[in-house]
Amino acid sequence: MKLEMRQKLSREPFAEKIRKVGQLIRLAKTFPRRVSKPTPAHPSAK
Amino acid sequence: MPIDEPSSNIPLADVLRAANGLVAAKLIEDWALGGALAAIYYVEPFTTYDADIFFIPADKGLTAGIPAIYAHLQSQGWQVEREHLVVRGFPVQFLAASGLTEEAVREAERIEFEGVPAKIFRAEHIVAIAASVGRPKDKARIEQLFQQADLDKTKLENILQRHKLKLPTP
Repeated sequence: MKLEMRQKLSREPFAEKIRKVGQLIRLAKTFPRRVSKPTPAHPSAK
Repeated sequence: MPIDEPSSNIPLADVLRAANGLVAAKLIEDWALGGALAAIYYVEPFTTYDADIFFIPADKGLTAGIPAIYAHLQSQGWQVEREHLVVRGFPVQFLAASGLTEEAVREAERIEFEGVPAKIFRAEHIVAIAASVGRPKDKARIEQLFQQADLDKTKLENILQRHKLKLPTP
């Protein structure tokens, strides 16, 4: 994300930022990060 | 407000109200919100899974009054899960302040969140505490605060000098 956009987000009201953190938590729970295994096509697989 | 409403994911107002209740019950002297949620007051929102409440204990003994704090909050429906107290599914850590964190509590900024009076660590103290802890995520937090927060560099330098701290090298 561009620095300009991140600075804009940082200036939002605290309550709005807390609401967005709640959304981020929900997203992280819905789509948990998975460690991807290297596939044969991946250069680091060899 | 129902629990599944988007705005109620983080019951921060409940957390702050409970911390004020601990002062009213004379279980703690003072408190302030620290950690990631305090940083988010100054920077863009990012994912965090708990709230850190730093408190100045009323009980100066070894336990810092933590058993009484737990009992008080449990009587109000909070649950204990390992090192956290949990309210409406959201974990909160109550941490006894000392040294730099005690100064951060005493000098914290007064705010109001959803009508609840609260105190929140100043950005300069968040940077100094992150410098004292020094994990990769603390270094990232310092960088983020330098980019996005309106830091008082003189105040920060003063805090760092008094607590013999240095900012990490980039």
